[in-house]
Amino acid sequence: METEPILKIENIEVFHGTFQAIWGLSMEVRRDEACALIGANTAGKSTLLDTINGVLHPATGSIKFLGQEISKLDAFEIVDLGITQVPEGRRLFPEMTVLENLIMGSYTPNARKHCKENLERVFELFPKVKDRQKQLAKTMSGGEQQMVAIGRGLMAHPQLIMIDELSLGLAPIIVDEIFRTIHQIKAQGVTVLFVEQNVAKTLMEADRAYIIETGKVSLSGTAAELRNNENVHKAYFGV
Amino acid sequence: MMGIKMHIKPTVLLAYILPTVLLAFLPMAGVPRSWIIYTFLFAIYLAMSNMWNLLAGYSGLVSLCQPAFLGIAGYGMVIGTWIGIPWWIGLLGGAALAAIFALLLSNAVFRLTGVYFSIGTLVVPEALRMVFYIWRPVGGAMQGAGAGYMLRGSGATLLPSYVYWMALILGLASMVIMRIVLRSNLGLGLAAVRDNERSAASCGVNVFRLKVYTFMISGAVTGLAGAIYFLNMGYIEPSASFSVKWTMAILLATVIGGIRTEEGPIFGCIVTVALYFLLARYGGYSFLIQGVILIAIMLLSPQGIVGLLRKMKWYCKLTAYSEG
Amino acid sequence: MGHGDLFTPILMGVMLGGLYALTALGLSMVFGVMRVINLAHGDLVVLASYGSYAVLTILGLDPVLGLVITIPVMFVIGVLIQKYLMSKAVTIGAEAPLIIAFGLSLVIQNANQIMWTPLSRGINTGYSQASFYLFHRQFPMTYLMDFVVGIVVMLVLREFLRRTYMGRAISATAMDPRASRLMGVNTKRIYYYAFGIAMISAAIAGTFLGMTFPFTPTSGTTFLTIAFGTVIIGGLGSLAGTFMGGIILGLVQTLSAYFLGANAQMLVLYVVIIAILAFRPQGLFGR
Repeated sequence: METEPILKIENIEVFHGTFQAIWGLSMEVRRDEACALIGANTAGKSTLLDTINGVLHPATGSIKFLGQEISKLDAFEIVDLGITQVPEGRRLFPEMTVLENLIMGSYTPNARKHCKENLERVFELFPKVKDRQKQLAKTMSGGEQQMVAIGRGLMAHPQLIMIDELSLGLAPIIVDEIFRTIHQIKAQGVTVLFVEQNVAKTLMEADRAYIIETGKVSLSGTAAELRNNENVHKAYFGV
Repeated sequence: MMGIKMHIKPTVLLAYILPTVLLAFLPMAGVPRSWIIYTFLFAIYLAMSNMWNLLAGYSGLVSLCQPAFLGIAGYGMVIGTWIGIPWWIGLLGGAALAAIFALLLSNAVFRLTGVYFSIGTLVVPEALRMVFYIWRPVGGAMQGAGAGYMLRGSGATLLPSYVYWMALILGLASMVIMRIVLRSNLGLGLAAVRDNERSAASCGVNVFRLKVYTFMISGAVTGLAGAIYFLNMGYIEPSASFSVKWTMAILLATVIGGIRTEEGPIFGCIVTVALYFLLARYGGYSFLIQGVILIAIMLLSPQGIVGLLRKMKWYCKLTAYSEG
Repeated sequence: MGHGDLFTPILMGVMLGGLYALTALGLSMVFGVMRVINLAHGDLVVLASYGSYAVLTILGLDPVLGLVITIPVMFVIGVLIQKYLMSKAVTIGAEAPLIIAFGLSLVIQNANQIMWTPLSRGINTGYSQASFYLFHRQFPMTYLMDFVVGIVVMLVLREFLRRTYMGRAISATAMDPRASRLMGVNTKRIYYYAFGIAMISAAIAGTFLGMTFPFTPTSGTTFLTIAFGTVIIGGLGSLAGTFMGGIILGLVQTLSAYFLGANAQMLVLYVVIIAILAFRPQGLFGR
């Protein structure tokens, strides 16, 4: 069944001052899928997420979310519309407890209405988080922090959640656990866009993926297509 | 030791010296007394403004304790005349005292960065003001408000022209000092420190020592300018010397002219001293207006007058020629 | 200057500490959230003192009741300063906020001087002149009020920061502005409110300072130094630390007045603050 993509990016160019980070990039994210952005560190993936989120603004091009043009909107407006980012390095508020972090996630007017139900949902998805809710965020382990960070993202009542460098610094077992939860989130109707350096893992978990190199899309397709793609094998698996 | 190379084209030196010599003839030319006072103040402010520019503009140290230097040097000289030290030794001695004070302060304030440094330096003149209200190093208790000292000895009967010429020489010297320092290893090091202190340090720049040298130079010259000023006044008291009004004037002069530019202080001092004359009759309003101007310039044209001039081609050509 | 009775200066120092902590609150908040030390803070507190003075002498209203007027006025002033001065200053360069705050400080000082003359003023209501008795010793009522107000405001602020969405947003922005933006916080507007709230505490501090001590247009530098010293001693980011810092400075002042005489107290205070800046800028309680 063909549906309109939830997020449609057309030909955007993004600058950091005079330095161009993103060059004529187009991509889309479809409803209820797990879409991945793969690429090296400096490829521009985080810049792309920040641009979608409204922290940065494209110089040209368009970004449409649920059919609405959002490229000129400010970050706080976009979060209210239903896009949330779980930033690289988690960036929890260190002096706040886990619970306070989660509640902070439901800051926007739209999210506040659903604060209670979202809190229930997060506790169900991440029982460990529920256990540690009164703990200060900075005392949690890496994996626990990532769970809180994703939970905090969910508190914003998003339709699209973007996760930057999910597996960074985490043990494989934890990463597996988190990906299992992501599939649950997907099943609950939240579309996921995630950014990863771990290509093999990503292509196992995603539905579709874009490979980003120096600010442009170099390859795209379903995970299956990319897994079997010769160039991908050469570049990322050395085979 | 820091390498200090002379990087001054003869024509540029002439451009500085010629006007100074011309101005030196003013007292003999029978011009109105206000012109002499204006030029005297201009020279004093120029020296102080250059020194503040060195600290705040080029080294990233927004120092608010300039009054401490000029007050210490001034008091050093004036009190010197009470114990028999001739005024001209007192002048140099006062400047030396100010430099030593800067050295002593260095240890304390250079652990502080940015705002901490500014507030730390703001407090110092205040504390000194209180000290000199209470402390009478020579002479008996004084009646009435203030705890001032009159200038004594041969300094008190000095011809005003002599003091005027001293100020001119100091003003000229401050421009030359700036030119030398900025093109020396010291200047390069300061630029690096201002940009990124940590990477400068990792490149082998002895950050602390640089700051100390700069602080001491600034203190000495500011002190000397202050001492000459009080030599002219013939009287010094805490509220006239350790006053934030000096800081205001110096900041305004440097910012109006163009902070972090070499020629900025010249323009800034021309304007600031002119303002001082124009607004003198308005008393309190004068400082109010100066404060507003300071804010406005900082917001609207952060590079001051020089910033505006640099937009014009003829000016850029002129200044490019003067580069060593 | 006897050496028999330490209880009086100690109690007075502690009570004074509450007021000093209150004075420091605004400075601490602006620094915590915007990372800018407002050099004009002391003068803004004095502005509030003159505001309350005006409320008393011109409107004939009790200054504490008059806070109904002074608080909103100071709040608006704070928002305007942040919106049109500070937010622009930060984009210009590192020294711009300092220079602009300095300019603002002098504008306020001289505006006050023009309006009110350099004459020293005090806010004197019936009860501000009263005393109370404890253990056979006499204490000024203002000191007790200062202490109580200091504690109350700090508690209210703490609850506000913890329990309201706006308060949490302010705390979050202070901890991590980028992450806050990702939560949907309009950080620009939070900065306005933070400065405004800082000015509310300045309004209260100014009113009670004016009732406790005489003030002149140049008192701002003193208030800034005390506020800054308080924040430094207590360590940034800690409300409790700021309170302790205030009490320590209060004690330093009253005890040095006791042992060294009234003339020395401000000087000793300044020297202590410089010493702390020099040797332990992270404060006694800071992280």
